[in-house]
Amino acid sequence: MLRLSLRWRVAVAFGLSSLVVSSLFAVATWHLASSYMLRQREQSVTAQAAANVRLVEGTLRVGSEGLTELLTGLAGEPRSTILFHREENWITSGRQVDPAVLPAQLLTPAREGTPARQRLVVGNVPVLAVALPVAAEDGIYVQLSPLVELDRSFRFLSRLLIAGTALSALVGVALGWRTSRRALRPLTALTAAAARVAQGDLQARLPEQSDPDLAPLAVTFNATASALEQRVRRDARFAGDVSHELRSPLTTMVNASEVLQRRRGELSATARKAADLLAYEVQRFRHMVVDLLEISRLDQDVDDQALEAVNLGELVRNVAASRPGDVPIDVEQPPPLVLADRRRLDRVVANLLDNAERHGGGPVRIAVSRRNGCVRLEVDDAGPGVPVQLRERVFERFARGARAGHRSDDDGSGLGLAVVAQHVSAHGGAVWVQDRPSAGARFVVELPELPR
Amino acid sequence: MEARVLLVEDDERIRQALGLALADEGCEVVEAASGEEALEQLGSTTVDVVLLDLMLPGVDGLTVCRTLRSHGDLPIIIITARSDTADVISGLEAGADDYVTKPLVASELAARIRALLRRRRFGSEGSGGPRLRLGEVEIRPDDGVVCRDDNEVDLTRTEFRLLVELAVADGRVVTREELLQRVWGYDYFGDTRLLDVHIRRLRRKIEANPNEPALVLTVRGVGYKVGKKA
Repeated sequence: MLRLSLRWRVAVAFGLSSLVVSSLFAVATWHLASSYMLRQREQSVTAQAAANVRLVEGTLRVGSEGLTELLTGLAGEPRSTILFHREENWITSGRQVDPAVLPAQLLTPAREGTPARQRLVVGNVPVLAVALPVAAEDGIYVQLSPLVELDRSFRFLSRLLIAGTALSALVGVALGWRTSRRALRPLTALTAAAARVAQGDLQARLPEQSDPDLAPLAVTFNATASALEQRVRRDARFAGDVSHELRSPLTTMVNASEVLQRRRGELSATARKAADLLAYEVQRFRHMVVDLLEISRLDQDVDDQALEAVNLGELVRNVAASRPGDVPIDVEQPPPLVLADRRRLDRVVANLLDNAERHGGGPVRIAVSRRNGCVRLEVDDAGPGVPVQLRERVFERFARGARAGHRSDDDGSGLGLAVVAQHVSAHGGAVWVQDRPSAGARFVVELPELPR
Repeated sequence: MEARVLLVEDDERIRQALGLALADEGCEVVEAASGEEALEQLGSTTVDVVLLDLMLPGVDGLTVCRTLRSHGDLPIIIITARSDTADVISGLEAGADDYVTKPLVASELAARIRALLRRRRFGSEGSGGPRLRLGEVEIRPDDGVVCRDDNEVDLTRTEFRLLVELAVADGRVVTREELLQRVWGYDYFGDTRLLDVHIRRLRRKIEANPNEPALVLTVRGVGYKVGKKA
């Protein structure tokens, strides 16, 4: 079933009410106006017929010679017909009509001396028929006056009323739409604010509302957002504090483990195995703590001091050059600049290359180009790609193992892509993963371009 | 590498582990648990390089760093617990040649020590080599001397190498990466705050007006060059 939005429902309700009210008025107007006009017409036709009958009687009294001319003269109105019945004969003038079409209900009362009146359709023309007895010669005078004009007026009136009703319904809908939009404007603001919160802007708040119906909503929303912000900050600080406290013991562990590794040869087989395990895990632990510190540091705001004009192509070349392997790098000329914290961008590029190394069998192409005011960095690998349903999840913290094809001896921290996502968003950019045209994954970073 | 290293670190276990690991890397390690102890040690013995934790009880690392710098150009590598910009920069501003962040690994640290010690002030041929001139600043690479208006300017060996690299390029742009690689000498990764602070320190020492540099110029998005008509 079709579910209308609240706004549409209000608009439709407005439209329906205005339709009902205006059609009531239209029907009433129709009845009053049409019956009044008809009555007027009937009265005038009847009065005229009575006058005509008097003329006819006068003429008959003098003799019947001038009767035909008189009748012709009386039927002056176009398309009107006058029939006169005398001595079993009908005299017709004006528009020719077969007297047989006249109904008995009309003629019988007249024959018996009572005037009669009836609306008829004769030869496709609506007429008002008036039948009057003519005292002299026991005749019947029948006058058929066309109602074409009146009919046209009725048709015009009815069209006018229908159009008016329809128009008022439309105006009702428009009014309802406008009103509901005004009434729902705070809800629109709420939606926008909630969306900003969902995107991670924890400082989004609703403006204070003066309307007593809306004020509690704004207050509740803002309180919820504040509580959420505090909680997220507390969690982030906690993660940062924990990592910070881990630095010192970790330094001891890493270096003690290095000493052990250097003396592997002096150890018994069992001790060597244990020392290797220890060294491996300590290394992994170190990566994790470094990445956690990186992330929790970013939860504080990016300091503007560190921002500078960075040649992204050059930066990518440098990061790639500090790693083993030779990846083709395409940089659009002239190389685009971005306003960025160089250290963080280094991390972004290095982590994307790490990721390609771990999950995609190594990067096969890196490209830096311009697109709609943005600088675009693409890192391609020829691995199994990232399934559509995981494309957002891979950027979450500790999303490791979510991807097919991850290695069990993976020594990553599970935070690499999360660091990428945070750094990129702190620079006002976006990062996502898509299919590489030939096979594999393409990680795309877009950052606002700094004009040269 | 036969380097004598003074390790100033208040955490005893870190001191021990790092001492063992550095010894494995070929360093002779002298330990100090506080700033006072470090300054005392340096009064009685000579070392090639100082590893200095910035967070020390009593006389803090920054003070130790400034004190050492005011006495000469003994190479200093600071150890920071926080990699915040502010912390690193204040350490470099205090005169350190390089910095490392905890958790640090002895092998990486040793690479930096080696690079720092390779950064020699004097050329091998002895005095009398070619001289470079930048406005009123004269550089004698082979003597390791820089003069400004015939007065010798005190530069650390890092600042000196930096200036020579720029001067030798003779007005061509030297990228940040090239400078980091040539002066600091290890595979650059991460961070150019090191370079920026050293450039700032260098400008304070040789420029007439450090806020409007005429000798060492920034090339936006690329690197630095010396002013031709300085």
